[in-house]
Amino acid sequence: MVATSEVLAFAVSLGTLYSIYVILSSSMELVYGELGLPDFAKAAFFAVGAFAAGALSVRLGAALAGIAWEGEFKLRSYYYATLVSAKVAENPLMGLVIFAVPLLVAVPCAVLLGVLASYPALRLREDYLAITLIAFSEIVRVVARNYEPLVGGTFGAGVVDVFAWLRSPWRELAMMLTSALFAFGAWLLLYRLSRSPFGRVLRAVRDDEVAAAAYGVDVARVRAWAMALGSGMAAVAGVLYAFYIGSVNPDDFTVSRTFLVVLMVTVGGRGNPKSPPLGAAVYLALDRALLFAKRFLPVPFDVNYVAYAALGVLLILFVMKKPEGLAPERPLLTVDAEATEGVTSRT
Amino acid sequence: MLDLLVGALVYSNLLALMAVGLSLALITCRVSNFAHGDFAMVGVYAAYTLSVVAGLTPYAWIPAAFAFGGLVSLLAYLLVFEPLRERTDLVTLMVVSMALDMVLRYSLHVYADLMQQWLRVYTRLFMFDDFLVEAAGSRLPGVLPASTAVVAALLASLYVLLYKTRVGVAMRAAIENPGLAEALGVSVERVFALSWFLSGALAATAGVFLPFRIMVSPDTGWSMLLPTFAAVTVGGIGSLGGSVLGAYLIGFSETVLAYQLAQVGISTAYRPLLTFAAIIATLLVYPRGLSGLWSGKGWSLRRRS
Repeated sequence: MVATSEVLAFAVSLGTLYSIYVILSSSMELVYGELGLPDFAKAAFFAVGAFAAGALSVRLGAALAGIAWEGEFKLRSYYYATLVSAKVAENPLMGLVIFAVPLLVAVPCAVLLGVLASYPALRLREDYLAITLIAFSEIVRVVARNYEPLVGGTFGAGVVDVFAWLRSPWRELAMMLTSALFAFGAWLLLYRLSRSPFGRVLRAVRDDEVAAAAYGVDVARVRAWAMALGSGMAAVAGVLYAFYIGSVNPDDFTVSRTFLVVLMVTVGGRGNPKSPPLGAAVYLALDRALLFAKRFLPVPFDVNYVAYAALGVLLILFVMKKPEGLAPERPLLTVDAEATEGVTSRT
Repeated sequence: MLDLLVGALVYSNLLALMAVGLSLALITCRVSNFAHGDFAMVGVYAAYTLSVVAGLTPYAWIPAAFAFGGLVSLLAYLLVFEPLRERTDLVTLMVVSMALDMVLRYSLHVYADLMQQWLRVYTRLFMFDDFLVEAAGSRLPGVLPASTAVVAALLASLYVLLYKTRVGVAMRAAIENPGLAEALGVSVERVFALSWFLSGALAATAGVFLPFRIMVSPDTGWSMLLPTFAAVTVGGIGSLGGSVLGAYLIGFSETVLAYQLAQVGISTAYRPLLTFAAIIATLLVYPRGLSGLWSGKGWSLRRRS
């Protein structure tokens, strides 16, 4: 039988991943769901966070611990990550610094890139904008894959275990709680924004850009703000993801990653702030269920492939049969419902 | 040097077939079809399976790959894009095509696993055996004359179909103004279905030539996709003639520039950057692309709405 500790470890690990996906899909919901801007460079902003952790955690840790660096980064980063983690085990404060610095570097970088990426939206039709952003996202990945000093190219980079000062079950739990805290913060931000005047401005721009501009909305400014927020959130998710996995690999940040996040928001319900936690749950449930099925189904091919194909089918079915998603967007009531009722009953 | 030229020409030939196919999907349903690369891989695996089972060179199975790729594309249109065509926005159509890409790509992966056990051959990272041609004192790979001839023949037939037949008139009418064409008795659905069949068939044909140059696996379609988008964008979105021109421009400049980069000591792995930069630069600076230079004249179909 499976031991209780194993089940707990599985749940804690799943909880961390779920939190990271909630942050990512919240940022997608903000930009794509509320503002209607197809931010298909999401994987790149996610990568900015992960690359910051990959490039900085080991180097910074080695500098703080006074370990002299020898050899190429791509070959030695995993080795030094272990050494630095051992130092962090004795010094929790160092772990905190190593966690905080990539976060403080990644978020401003992603915000800046996000504002930059919002400018093509002024000129381009939405589908061309999406292609432009996909091309941008692939540029980031190809550069990281080939420029080895950044995160080791195809070798990847080791990442310091910032919770090494805790013992095993508590270490993973700390990672999960940290991620959950950030996830709750990101989602709360999205929820409050969506219900605020700013959220109504976002949806006004989405539904009719010209009308919104005629009412005095500075469309370019609104887009820049939303992209800044969304990209910053994605970078936070990226940093957490790198520390959760314990390494960084540029090929982890393909367009498929963006597609998965779009899938979560679409299945959850575009335009409803409840969609990120819902969509992420549906995705992870399906993904894990198929992994379990793999254990019991003796099929002559890799079940992972079927899982991906099934996700594609799921999205197509949702767009065709239930385009509003699990949690449909709540229409804005501009006039008191009872007042209109009175008018209609009299005529 | 000769090698470089051969590589550039074959690559451009393939891009031209892919780009014209992608354009057909764009001008009929306005789908930026991310599953287009997978149609090429459907062609690869169809030709590969037939040549292993029934013998003969994969070149002989090009008609079969053409038909099979077209059929898959036609099914995609009938099952997915026709019902959604008028109902949803451009980005959602694109997301749906990404989902279709996942379905096709991973179905091909499953098929590759099964085929490996069934036929006992490598089904990933394989290449086709080519023949050599003697020309001008040097030996050239057969894929050069073969692909050039097929591309020329297919593009010429497409031109004749579009401009010299009744079906072609109906197709152009349906593309430029579906509502008006429908009112005049053209079955827009049937005409679009034909366009989609051709779209997938052209991609699948391009696919068959691919393993003569590089090792392929089900994911190769994706790496062909963005260069194809670059060709279509640079050529001018919606213009078939522009797509062909864009394909040769992208194909040659990518190959030659990658060679130049290697000369100054920069890894050729950066090669895709040129293509991606070309997409971004064209869309931001001159979104009408090359066909914008002669727009409205000659072989340039675009939807007016």
